Amino acid sequence: MENNRKIIRQSLSNRIVHWGIAISTILLIVSGFGNMPMYKRYNIVKLPFGEFLGSFINMLYLHYLSAAFLCFFVFYHLFVHYFAKEFDILPRKGDVTQSFLIIKAMITKSQEPPSDKYLAEQRIAYAFIGGNVLTLVITGFIKMLKNLDSINIPNSINTIVTNIHNAATMLLILGLIGHIAAFIFKENRKMIPGMFTGKLDEDYVKHRHSIWYENLTDDEIDVSNNVTKEEKKFETSSM
Amino acid sequence: MSNGINRREFLKRSTAAGIASVLTLTVGNEIAKAESELSNKATIIDLTKCDGCVNLGTPACVTACSKKNSDKFPVVNEELLKPYWPQPKFEDHSKNKDITDRLTPYNWTFVDKVEVDGEIISIPRRCMHCDNATCLGMCPFGAIEKENSGAVCINDELCFGGAKCRDVCPWSIPQRQAGVGIYTKIAPEYIGGGVMYKCDFCSDLLKNGQKPACVTSCPKNAIIFGEKEELRKKVYELAKEMNGFVYGDKENGGTSTFYLSKIPFEKINDQLKKQNTSPEGPIMGRPLMEPEIENKLDTVTGMAISAAIAPIAGIITAGYVASKRLKGEKTDGK
Repeated sequence: MENNRKIIRQSLSNRIVHWGIAISTILLIVSGFGNMPMYKRYNIVKLPFGEFLGSFINMLYLHYLSAAFLCFFVFYHLFVHYFAKEFDILPRKGDVTQSFLIIKAMITKSQEPPSDKYLAEQRIAYAFIGGNVLTLVITGFIKMLKNLDSINIPNSINTIVTNIHNAATMLLILGLIGHIAAFIFKENRKMIPGMFTGKLDEDYVKHRHSIWYENLTDDEIDVSNNVTKEEKKFETSSM
Repeated sequence: MSNGINRREFLKRSTAAGIASVLTLTVGNEIAKAESELSNKATIIDLTKCDGCVNLGTPACVTACSKKNSDKFPVVNEELLKPYWPQPKFEDHSKNKDITDRLTPYNWTFVDKVEVDGEIISIPRRCMHCDNATCLGMCPFGAIEKENSGAVCINDELCFGGAKCRDVCPWSIPQRQAGVGIYTKIAPEYIGGGVMYKCDFCSDLLKNGQKPACVTSCPKNAIIFGEKEELRKKVYELAKEMNGFVYGDKENGGTSTFYLSKIPFEKINDQLKKQNTSPEGPIMGRPLMEPEIENKLDTVTGMAISAAIAPIAGIITAGYVASKRLKGEKTDGK
């Protein structure tokens, strides 16, 4: 019999943060490249609505506006989890080896090692993308200060900060490509609905996140099913 | 001593370290002091005095600038003079190094001439050295620097020649030369376009307490050099005396170049527009003198403040959400 029960993996707050950061990052990349003299040279401005992209000042407005949203979501994310003491997604010792084993299992279609709420490679990807986003926020903030008439940033700092900002952008783009490329593996595709609804199939969680599954709290079981943890455990053991 | 250093050696090393520290601090402080003492400089370009050196083939300031900066002019790799893909063109001035009637990578100042109300006006043109230079603020590679003297300089080793600085400069001053610079070492056909060149206010001379070449070479003393604040005061006094006009103090949020004229700059600009604009648009390297130019960077200040406030708003919201969540957990616990 098919099990339709769901496990709550991402709260509404997490989903808003994820998509808020995703959309503002895409806008920042678009406007960031618009601040490079690229769109005119590569004829992007000739595409429909492309003219807007050809204006450096429009791109700067869009960049700052998106940066404001990104900063809001990033700092909200950092502090809400810090205050609530939720650190599931931070990398742990042995994650690199564990990631290798998970990817190997996905390729060879063998048994994956047991995982917690997040897979080891998700924790590594989080650290990589998060580290780059933080670097971009800090360097972007300094670059922004430089454009204010009243603030004088030394030339050497400006040059270093600008080049770190550019390098971190490239690394972030690579990270985002890797993030999306993860869905090449069929095993990962079941996570996609969770990024919209916040819920995952119970069978999937049991199979892939067995450590987390064993320690689920009542809050993480979809209340719409009216099933408590005890009932879940009972049903699981009687299966 | 247990680690193998005896008392004498310890004292010797401590004294040496102490002297080294004092020397470093003293010399370092002196360098820092010398840099900080190099206050903002400026020039007044008096259009009532400049005659464009009518008796000379080339104005003296133009010749002096060219001579002074010849070692900084681009040395082109001919093999890399290729169109900027996918565009069919590239910018090469290396075959026309002798041009002196416009700005080029090989000519950082020129004297424009216009006729207004029957009077010929000669206007030396070069970088204005803006206070909050848009070229510097918007360079995507941080290749433009502002020195304590007020000189805005392009670092030719970092510049990719995207020409954004020219696009955002209200006077389109920097000029591009292909086949030279860091882009040639990466993917010259696909990324970058050369190096941008412009007047650097003879920043090396300023650092040595000397005046820019255009100033010292002017036979009419039409270019006055000095402390910026003093010259600002002076230019308005002179303008008042002759019932004249000033250009460059307010434009683009302020610059280090103050033009002085008996004729309104609106009239001068109208004439410049007529002769420096072609059916395709403005003629490259021949800047106009548009009045009341707003600094585009000033318009983003509000947005910059919003971006600076956003982290605080994020933290406050996080505190509110977390406390609500924790309160909920406590209630459940009861």
